[in-house]
Amino acid sequence: MSVKILHKGLADSLQDNGRYGYQHLGIPPNGCMDNLSASLANYILQNNDNTPVIELHFPSSKIQFLQDSIICITGANFVPLVNEKSIALHTPILVNKNDVLTMLQPLEGSVAYLGIKGSYLAPDWLNSHAYNGKRLNTNDTLSFSSLYPNDLNKVKNINEQLNHTLIDKIQSNVFSNNTPLRILPGPAWKDLSQTALYDLINASFTISGQRNRMGYHLSGPLLHLTKPTTYLSSAVTMGTLQLLPNGSIIVLMADHQTIGGYANLGQIILVDLPRFAQMKSGVSFKFNITNLETAQTLYKEMYATFKY
Amino acid sequence: MHNKFKDWTIFNLGDHAIVFALEAKMDVLILNKLKQLTAFVSAKKIKGILDIIPSYHTLTLVYDITVFFSNTKNANEQLALFSKEILSEFENTISKEIINDTILYEVPVCYENIFALDIENISKQNKISAEEIIQMHTSKIYDVYSIGFLPGFTYMGMVDEKINIARHSVPRKIVPAGSVGIAGFQTGIYPSDCPGGWQIIGRTPWKIFDPQSDTLTKFKVGDRIQFCKISKHEFDYLNEYA
Repeated sequence: MSVKILHKGLADSLQDNGRYGYQHLGIPPNGCMDNLSASLANYILQNNDNTPVIELHFPSSKIQFLQDSIICITGANFVPLVNEKSIALHTPILVNKNDVLTMLQPLEGSVAYLGIKGSYLAPDWLNSHAYNGKRLNTNDTLSFSSLYPNDLNKVKNINEQLNHTLIDKIQSNVFSNNTPLRILPGPAWKDLSQTALYDLINASFTISGQRNRMGYHLSGPLLHLTKPTTYLSSAVTMGTLQLLPNGSIIVLMADHQTIGGYANLGQIILVDLPRFAQMKSGVSFKFNITNLETAQTLYKEMYATFKY
Repeated sequence: MHNKFKDWTIFNLGDHAIVFALEAKMDVLILNKLKQLTAFVSAKKIKGILDIIPSYHTLTLVYDITVFFSNTKNANEQLALFSKEILSEFENTISKEIINDTILYEVPVCYENIFALDIENISKQNKISAEEIIQMHTSKIYDVYSIGFLPGFTYMGMVDEKINIARHSVPRKIVPAGSVGIAGFQTGIYPSDCPGGWQIIGRTPWKIFDPQSDTLTKFKVGDRIQFCKISKHEFDYLNEYA
């Protein structure tokens, strides 16, 4: 089973849960921007959790299926069409040989995932298939093995077993825009001025148009340190709030650099990162401080739901 | 969690990483201690640790929340206990078994104008001749303090005060792979073509990052590097055959 990129999108790539163990050599984890939605696609398809998915940004790639297969689309609602006819999200869909998938408009969210039933057939690099800065290009072909015969009964069987409560829970976690993003203070927190601290917790921020897989720039009040400070570069993670010298914040995302020398204000907690990744530019939000126990308990609860 | 143990400060970085930090300065004694802790922690092969990242004065451990802890009750206490155990064991073994896998590399660099994009600029700003810049850059042995930013990007220090120069305020759109530059007290090597703001004084024919090689990068944190001047002729030869 192969899929072919008929026309490349803006920034689409193949991703999985990421590549860990090589950050000391400067090799970033990469992986999905919203790994909750990506995991949901694999869960619905009854794939292994780390099966690579195609991450779609808008405008998205035009994709052709070269054999019959079962697919599932999760994450952002870009209004997916197969042969110009709309298809449902969070549902296993049978597509036929030569069918073409396109995305009509970015209705909700920022990143969509195309999961394909089976496993990905290509050598990995350092135990991961996640693209390292690379993008899907026109005429690229990706091969998946189908584990089962792709027939309608199979789709029906999967449909009957679907846990809709789980799907709803994940959807509401990823797409509820009115709850604050929870952060844990970072090493440069103590260097912020009183006004900056007040603004960071009380003011509204939006994601600016300057956003990509490396990071999202925020618009909002400019924050300043009590005095100009230089920092030796140290490790950063996805979700790190870096304060740039001009007082604006950039939040590091999946393709982040491994180390950073800007003021490290804090980290968005793991369980809130999918929601942040999906936020559209211009939508205002606030930050809220939480604690380690809460962050870790919420994370464990969310990901425990995928065990089946 | 924000704890102290002897010279170390230990704190959380978000909800899935922990940092062991020494005094924030570029210092070879601090680097050596950090390098030893890195080797010590790596050798323990602790379940749930995803990444072990040394850089200047910090060692960051990234962990998988679901594997690292048996439960999330009192995560801060568990982390405090974990770090204290690691550090006390480390401080007790450190004097007996000094880990020494440091390699000294002699890295060829061509400082000719075709590659030394900013040498004239440094010469003007720091009132020092190009010859002196090259002489100073090649006379010291540098320590690798960090590898990061890009796969294989190598941060070394410290350069002589006389060739210390700030980054360009506007980065170059493309700095070619192998370029050797200066930023403040640091000298560094670009592993691949990419945008960058360091002041470029030469280029090495060595490939310092190779995604298909076993070690991936030529250098590791703690290695020592001395640059040696080569001609454009030698550069072309090494570039092709080495």
